[in-house]
Amino acid sequence: MKAKKVLITLLALGTALSFTACNGGTTEKETAKTESAKTESSKTETTNTETTEADKTETVKADTENTETENTGSDTAQITYEETDTDPSDNTSDSELDNLYQQENQLFADHKDAWDKAFGLMSKSSADSSGNYADFLSDTVESNKDSFTDEQYQTLTDDIETIRKIEEQIAELEKKNAETDTSETKTASDDSSPFNNFSGKDFDGNSVDESLFSKNAVTVVNFWFTGCKPCVAELSKLNELNDAIKSMGGEVVGINTETFDGNEDAIKEAASILESQGAKYRNLSIDSDSDAGKYASNIMAFPTTILVDRNGNIVGDPMLGGIDNQDNYDALMKQIQSVIDADSTEK
Amino acid sequence: MDKKTNLRSKKIAQIRGWIQAAATLLTNIHIPNVFKGQIYQGKAKTVCVPGLNCYSCPAATGACPIGAFQAVVGSSKFKFSYYITGFFILLGVLLGRFICGFLCPFGWFQDLLHKIPGKKLSTARLKPLRYLKYIILIVFVILLPMLVTNSIGMGDPFFCKYICPQGVLEGAIPLSLGNAAIRSALGNLFTFKCLILITVVILSILFYRPFCKWICPLGAVYSLFNKVSLLGIQVESSKCVGCNKCAKACKMDVDVRKTPNHMECIRCGACIKACPTDAIHYQFMGKTCPKKDSCNSQQ
Repeated sequence: MKAKKVLITLLALGTALSFTACNGGTTEKETAKTESAKTESSKTETTNTETTEADKTETVKADTENTETENTGSDTAQITYEETDTDPSDNTSDSELDNLYQQENQLFADHKDAWDKAFGLMSKSSADSSGNYADFLSDTVESNKDSFTDEQYQTLTDDIETIRKIEEQIAELEKKNAETDTSETKTASDDSSPFNNFSGKDFDGNSVDESLFSKNAVTVVNFWFTGCKPCVAELSKLNELNDAIKSMGGEVVGINTETFDGNEDAIKEAASILESQGAKYRNLSIDSDSDAGKYASNIMAFPTTILVDRNGNIVGDPMLGGIDNQDNYDALMKQIQSVIDADSTEK
Repeated sequence: MDKKTNLRSKKIAQIRGWIQAAATLLTNIHIPNVFKGQIYQGKAKTVCVPGLNCYSCPAATGACPIGAFQAVVGSSKFKFSYYITGFFILLGVLLGRFICGFLCPFGWFQDLLHKIPGKKLSTARLKPLRYLKYIILIVFVILLPMLVTNSIGMGDPFFCKYICPQGVLEGAIPLSLGNAAIRSALGNLFTFKCLILITVVILSILFYRPFCKWICPLGAVYSLFNKVSLLGIQVESSKCVGCNKCAKACKMDVDVRKTPNHMECIRCGACIKACPTDAIHYQFMGKTCPKKDSCNSQQ
């Protein structure tokens, strides 16, 4: 009896060790490869990472239903608002600028059907911050000429010419503003936002810098990772949000924390998940030791969504949890609206 | 020699509360995080702790093995959690449910609650409920996370999400107190799980360790190894006078003389303390060896 018992225990111990050392067939080995970029490739290390990576998901879902983060955002937002409120010097040029943007938006609104179609055809990777916005629009319209009716095409080209003129005026005004303005906004934002010196690459390899934010009144930044179920669940909804706020001067940008430092395998994996969920908005890979990378590494629970204004400042508190929950969606939409409103009064 | 080892076994059983406190402290070493409302996310989190201790506890040193198991099984990348299964077998074979009695923070929590004076009820008649924990282990920890998945093969950690009261106690409550953003994310699920926690707390005052006996899937895993674990309990029949005090002292409803290493035995040592002739003691690898540390070095 005793000998038998010892035999069983020894056998079990052996199994334990082989399990622990085992990487579990090809599937696990493949993923282990991607993980090993971060850790040393000793067998236990990689299997260990498996635990953490996956365990993060659990953190998210375990009890709090959704999520949580540090609230570095709130203070930042207040500072920026105070700063902009007590800034009378540029009011005239700002209101002029605002007026011009309004005119553009009015054009989009007047011929909504045609423009919505045109926006739908845009490839985000080709969006270029430099150059006249009208060139970009006409490129899109020209290259998709066949998709429009003659009438639509005519209105679009007319609008684009008007926009070209408006854009030229805007560029001039902005140049003037930049000279007087920089000192103040810089000081306010430099020490407060991790997105001031932003740089990243989209999944097609195009570089992106902080002009990403300056082009839009509000940028919705969604932090996620590939193994996170609630994150993946909201991707299609985020795409919907992106389409909805595009005409309002907003954009959704995804940052996948596994794709840091241009991790090719992780990018491929993330891209395939985005595709499977029908998410077409931009996703960026950033450096883990950049300010934004550090900010993202401090997030404890996913998905976390933040709003960034034109100056690269975080506005309001981070939102935790997916927007596939209607309450969250409405709350986020409300916040987006208020940032856009603030942006237009600011100018 | 026998007398001495038996006394040492008794001593260990007597300082069990302190060992539990120390184990709880070690599994939750990052105490300042509780006030910051932050979770420690360092390298140690890749390793499991032996007891049921939520990963999401701000102070947690490591990961909960049950949570980690579900997360890996439910992930689209992995089909089965080899690393954690190995961990289970290793700890199960070494210590068995000694972990429940001495190292598990949630076990200690229930022990403390049971010390609250009041009417105490026996669980002797509720023995069939013991099998519930195996059902929970198979259904909520293994099958549901593995099978109920979304289009790209990701499952939920069902036990953590819908049952585990330790998650609310250690994770949700301290995090939401320390962090405004998480407070705003609380919803119906939180309320539901708070009700589970309150139920477990009330039951723990009335019964001894109801969660360990009926619900805990981690206890279920370790119980499978209890009969073969290297650490065990031995009764010297030559010394036994058949007074039955040990069976009466056992709060897990085990008769230690008939089944010294019963699946429900958490090695708490109540029988060792109760024995008038010091006939019961801990043993390691078949040797009468009271202290597991000294035994490890002897091997």
